[in-house]
Amino acid sequence: MSLAAEAFVSQIAAAEPWPENATLYQPLREDQILLSDCASSLAVQAYLRMLGLPVRVRCRANAEYMSPSGKVPFIHVGNQVVSELGPIMQFTRAKGHSLSDSLDDVQRAEMKAYMELVNNMLLTAELYIQWCYQNTAAEITRPRYSSPYSWPLNHILAYQKQWEVRRKMNAIGWAGKSLEQVYEDVSQCCQALSQRLGTQPFFFNKQPTELDALVFGHLFTILTTRLTTDELSEKIKSFSNLLSFCRRIEQAYFESQDRDSQSGALDYSKGPSLM
Amino acid sequence: MAAPLELFCWKGSWGLPSVDTGSLIVLAYARFAGTPLKVHKISNPWRSPTGSLPALKTKEDGSFSQPSKIIIQLRKQKYNADYDLSAKEGADTLAFISLVEEKLMPALIYALWIDPKNYAEVTRRWHAENISFPLNFVLPSCMQSRQLERVRLMRGNGTLEAGEEAEKELYSDALECMNLLSQRLGSNRFFFGDSPSSLDAYVFGHLAPILKIRLPSNKLQQHLKDMDNLTNFCSNILSLYFPDEIREGMGQSASNVQEGSEFDHEPYKRRKQLLSVLVAVAAMLGYAFLTGIVAIEHVKEKGSTGNTASTDLQIEEDE
Repeated sequence: MSLAAEAFVSQIAAAEPWPENATLYQPLREDQILLSDCASSLAVQAYLRMLGLPVRVRCRANAEYMSPSGKVPFIHVGNQVVSELGPIMQFTRAKGHSLSDSLDDVQRAEMKAYMELVNNMLLTAELYIQWCYQNTAAEITRPRYSSPYSWPLNHILAYQKQWEVRRKMNAIGWAGKSLEQVYEDVSQCCQALSQRLGTQPFFFNKQPTELDALVFGHLFTILTTRLTTDELSEKIKSFSNLLSFCRRIEQAYFESQDRDSQSGALDYSKGPSLM
Repeated sequence: MAAPLELFCWKGSWGLPSVDTGSLIVLAYARFAGTPLKVHKISNPWRSPTGSLPALKTKEDGSFSQPSKIIIQLRKQKYNADYDLSAKEGADTLAFISLVEEKLMPALIYALWIDPKNYAEVTRRWHAENISFPLNFVLPSCMQSRQLERVRLMRGNGTLEAGEEAEKELYSDALECMNLLSQRLGSNRFFFGDSPSSLDAYVFGHLAPILKIRLPSNKLQQHLKDMDNLTNFCSNILSLYFPDEIREGMGQSASNVQEGSEFDHEPYKRRKQLLSVLVAVAAMLGYAFLTGIVAIEHVKEKGSTGNTASTDLQIEEDE
């Protein structure tokens, strides 16, 4: 969403209530979606469920090209289209829905910082393993990413995307890292999250916040996605409080809500469940 | 262990120990941890062992360039500023470093390298004055394009250009980040109590340039100056850990003021004059070679006198 339009949008957004027919778009769940996109999509879904805002999930092969920022997922609410968790958070806040209102200033600063930690380390590590580790890129990422397209477009698009991600890794200094170092970084990040969570049910006591949605989206997706090796999920499994945290959110916001709602089967979109 | 570590970093100005964020982080961390370092303050990245600055040269493990890697190396040598931190504080350190890198760094790069006015009047001028002769024409624009590329890739926006929209977007993130840092710091002296840690080094490395470098368009600086605790935090670290640089910086700016603006760029001017003379001479020589003098050489090879031979040729052609 362009910033010029933002003030205007938030004015309109505040006036309209959340409609029943809000839709979230993501790439095809079975054959196309990648680990990193799936994690971001699940984070947004978890966030909206924590707020109690209904959203229907639609899978589209060209979701990436439909999105205003070129990134998935994005939501279509009324006549607004908003992509990615950050702008979606601003959008819902403008409508009067927020998870972090009860936090004090220091806690809010910490929450933002930990969210950046997840984006900075977990998301980048996911991208690295998907696109820069030869085995995963050749066996999983490129075929899946290009599955809706026919030859030669599939190769062109997949290599273009890979090239783009590699340039990004170069720019942020990850290009020289080995796979072991990336796993080490993931471990370090999980260690930090685990320390912060401790024995609490959520990161900031009893109420879920945006951070909980984001962490759940990433950890749950890593735990339930099969890659060429399961080293990545093993790193997370060594932190038992993070595991039970994922399980808790899954039960509270996905399983029970799906059981309650009539259209559960349609909305159920998170993929395989944990354990 | 006995041999001192060698650190190569950008030289300082404006009362800063170094003008570069990466170098500032490493310098601050090394001072916090009390590391004995042999510091080379240079202004030519090609003279560093890794080809970029900052760089740490160790006897056993070779050289390292990224601030995070350098800090890990210093830690390996038992110089650890984070020794007293609890596990939770260690986690907070990681989180806030991510926050600074994702939100504040792009805006800082924008302010120094992409904003056209700031780049032309301050950043490029400083680098052109401080980098040695032939490189100073090439290096600043190379560095600029690398920084622009970096911001574009970090933001996932391949067409990001200097302009109002990009500035607004990056600066609003940065202002929010400064507010969050200010809230986290509160009335503490450092982020985790009374002794500085690596988070303090990172925050200092990003805030001190904003605070000290005088830029023509200085929105970040204005905002930072409104937050007393962050301003005090920076000047505290400068006066406690870099007393020499402050004195030098004071001397520099004082002498600059005394000299006045007319004589400010005198050496630069001389060099420009010298250079334009050189270019003019080269152009004249080139022109001469391309036209007249070539003919004379030609004739000399033949072994006869120049004028007659050339006229002979002309006559033949005319016929």
